Amino acid sequence: MNKILIIIFICSISLGILSEAEQKFTFDKEAYSFDNIVQEELFYSLLVELRCPKCQSSNLSGSNSPISNDLKREVYELVIKEQSAEEIKAYLVERYGNFIIYNPPIEPATYILWFGPFLLIILSLGSIILYRRKQA
Amino acid sequence: MIPELGHITLIAYLVLCLVGGILPLAAIFFNKAALEMPIKRVTSLLFSLITFSFLILIYSFLVDDFSVAYVAQNSNINLPFYFKFAATWGAHEGSLILWILAMNAWLISFIFLTKCKNTDFLNTVFSISCQVMFAFTLFTLLTSNPFERILPIPPLNGADLNPSLQDIAFTIHPPLLYFGYSGLLIPFAIAVAAMLFNTDTKEWASYSRPWTLLSCSFLTLGIALGSWWAYYELGWGGWWFWDPVENAAFVPWLLSVALFHSLITSQSKGVFGKWSILLSILAFSTSLLGTFLVRSGILTSVHAFALDPERGLFILGILAFFIVGSLIIYSIKDLNQDNSGTYELNSKEFGFLLNNLLLVILAISILFGTIFPLIYEAITDGKQISVGAPYFEIILFPFALALGLLQGIALYLSWGSSSSFSFIQRVFLESISVFGLILLILYILFDNLYLTSFITIFLACWIAAGTLQVSKKRNINYWSFLKKRLAVTFAHVGMAILVLGVGVVSSYSLEKELILAPGDSFEFGDQIVSFESVEDTLGPNYFSKSANISFKDTQNDTNVITEKRTYVPSGQLTTEAGIIMEPFQDLYISMGDNLEADIWSFKVQIKPFIRWIWLGALLIAIGSMLAGIKQIRRA
Amino acid sequence: MKKLLDILPLVIFVTLIIVLFSFLSNEDDQLETALIDESFPEFSLTSLTDKTKVLTKSDISELPALINVWATWCIACKVEHPFLMQLKEESILPIYGLNYKDNRNKAIALLQADGNPFEFSIFDFEGRLAIDLGVYGAPETFFIDKAGLIRVRHVGVIDDKVWKEKFAKYLDE
Repeated sequence: MNKILIIIFICSISLGILSEAEQKFTFDKEAYSFDNIVQEELFYSLLVELRCPKCQSSNLSGSNSPISNDLKREVYELVIKEQSAEEIKAYLVERYGNFIIYNPPIEPATYILWFGPFLLIILSLGSIILYRRKQA
Repeated sequence: MIPELGHITLIAYLVLCLVGGILPLAAIFFNKAALEMPIKRVTSLLFSLITFSFLILIYSFLVDDFSVAYVAQNSNINLPFYFKFAATWGAHEGSLILWILAMNAWLISFIFLTKCKNTDFLNTVFSISCQVMFAFTLFTLLTSNPFERILPIPPLNGADLNPSLQDIAFTIHPPLLYFGYSGLLIPFAIAVAAMLFNTDTKEWASYSRPWTLLSCSFLTLGIALGSWWAYYELGWGGWWFWDPVENAAFVPWLLSVALFHSLITSQSKGVFGKWSILLSILAFSTSLLGTFLVRSGILTSVHAFALDPERGLFILGILAFFIVGSLIIYSIKDLNQDNSGTYELNSKEFGFLLNNLLLVILAISILFGTIFPLIYEAITDGKQISVGAPYFEIILFPFALALGLLQGIALYLSWGSSSSFSFIQRVFLESISVFGLILLILYILFDNLYLTSFITIFLACWIAAGTLQVSKKRNINYWSFLKKRLAVTFAHVGMAILVLGVGVVSSYSLEKELILAPGDSFEFGDQIVSFESVEDTLGPNYFSKSANISFKDTQNDTNVITEKRTYVPSGQLTTEAGIIMEPFQDLYISMGDNLEADIWSFKVQIKPFIRWIWLGALLIAIGSMLAGIKQIRRA
Repeated sequence: MKKLLDILPLVIFVTLIIVLFSFLSNEDDQLETALIDESFPEFSLTSLTDKTKVLTKSDISELPALINVWATWCIACKVEHPFLMQLKEESILPIYGLNYKDNRNKAIALLQADGNPFEFSIFDFEGRLAIDLGVYGAPETFFIDKAGLIRVRHVGVIDDKVWKEKFAKYLDE
């Protein structure tokens, strides 16, 4: 039974993964062309992390509104100038505030947001263990 | 005239709900048998009334009765008839009628199918449900009446249904979702009744379990369909955005999953009774909360037109009444629910406890994250932040990891305590098969290995192996063994498939924005994408620019159309993506802007394994549906 | 201890309701500007009416002043236009225009037809100055004080009510 499972899983996953080949680079027809794949991945990952300031609820990647296109252009120009993700985000936050990043900053006011879930886990696990010790 | 019938029926429904919400309880608690009601007949009458009212609304849409304001706002003469039908629940007012109808459908199913013979208990569940239905109907009639007329001069044509909603998936998604949300009413009412009568844990848990499972099944389908619809309708290729509306549905789903796992323990072992009551209340309250968040307008971002705060206030009031009310009973009443069952750390009970802990804290975290921007603005006196996908994904990952690991060994656990030897043996066997798999995947993926993706794929294999494996010790026919655990097999394997899909598509998707003129080709991944032509096309209520795109690789050459539609009545634009579905990947292209002449921008994507996400969800829904049906039939 | 645990859900929930209730009463739906108390950004763009003339920050010389972001494609801008004209006629304070992603000729024609409340208009075709200001649409209006610092930004139509509530107080400083 185990063997059959293994074979089935291997076949399906291989088929899936093998069908994605390496990405080749061409320089025409791309709306945004880059010198290397690192820059390109940085660009597209930023588009997902940055919020369209005008849309109801959308990131830059999913928006074609004029301001989104302008911001995409800004991000593109900063990426090819070799700016880092942090620098690009700081540039935009300077102009639009923290609202424009979908990842909230880690600061005292957001400690509860970032650490809350894990604190809760520790607290509840801890109390359960203590409770069981008391019962025993 | 006919819309008035719908209106009057709704009012009659309101009155009957009020009566039903009071009399049976008065009969029980003031000991006045004369006030008792034949609840089967009354429920049937209620159901007929609300169905009739709903049908009148549908009728008004189908005959283009624009004297009804709601029809005028959401329909149009040129709207295809199947969308006129679906437009009934296309906006706030009509969708409320659907919500109420769904609650009633659950109630009537419960009343007729439950094995509970305790009339006091049944009458209480009935009464509480009537109260909730009354509250919603009052809200509808007072603030959101779909039967309001535009008289004496009705408009000649309507404003049209929102174009992004003019889609087949949209006709099914809201009903499924509302049935999921509203189904949690029954476990809630049962929990309150259990508190009032101090019902034995095993007994009330057995009443509640099937309805929790069925609600979960509908919620699963509703959410999965929403994700699928967003994927192909909104044009950006994403399938989950952690949008407040999505989170509002995800949180009750998590809690309903936690609840039925807790109810299994309560029913089998009589423990976690008090916790199951609390969780039942919480699950339904997040359902109501979700409704509030989405309809009150407080979570729409800057620059959205404000929805009605007055309506929000009303829903908040409903929420407050029922939840605070039931929590007060919970705080005050001396609930004799918990049997002091003892269980080891390696027991099924403890496994379920961990499961609940993780699911509930995850749900709370997501809920908190969703409303946090508002809290932040309040405590920093005006500063604004966004909490979106990056945050939720970071938080979700460790929870999903823990839950996945637990899920892989869950079925090996026994009540009370698990025999250490056979447990270790099974885990060992499972680990070997999984690690063998991993080594092979490592070998294949050597060029492109993403850690999170690797972990997620591992989890998927772990869960599947844990669900499908049987100890070699027993001499059992594997298939009859599976048949007994069919529901959980479907559900857990479904989860494994879903996790696999998520793991692969999250890291291995490719995307690019292109600018092409007709005749241009571009190499993308292993495909050659060609923009063959663009032409003007006409639909029933829109005109569009249709681009014909071909995807060629070594095996296939397929064409697909992507469109930019302008809907005639409203002038709204939508993008219709062109999607080619292959078993292990989707090829996705959407039109962007017309830059000049026939030159267009496009966004092209390859999404490997994305269908597996919805396949997995479907299997989960089937599993929980099977489990729910099985529990209803059990004597 | 047990009783405390029992009351906890109720307490948390009531808190949640109060919090949500307070959010309902909060009406503000604008993105606050990130540039409060920052100086107006540097720029170098042509004037709307004269494409050979390059304007820079030093040309915004008469302070305090309003900077108004407008365009011919912006319908709400037409709604606020009379109020801007009124401000100019009453010589309350100078208004400088930022013509945002617009067609030069159409913009000039509009000012000729409807009146020109601006000392001059900056032609920001690519929207770069707008991005430096954190602009995301039109109309928007900024108040620049005597020291050249941005004090307030209003998104949407500016009328008498908005002026009195948001802007007028900075004029008296």
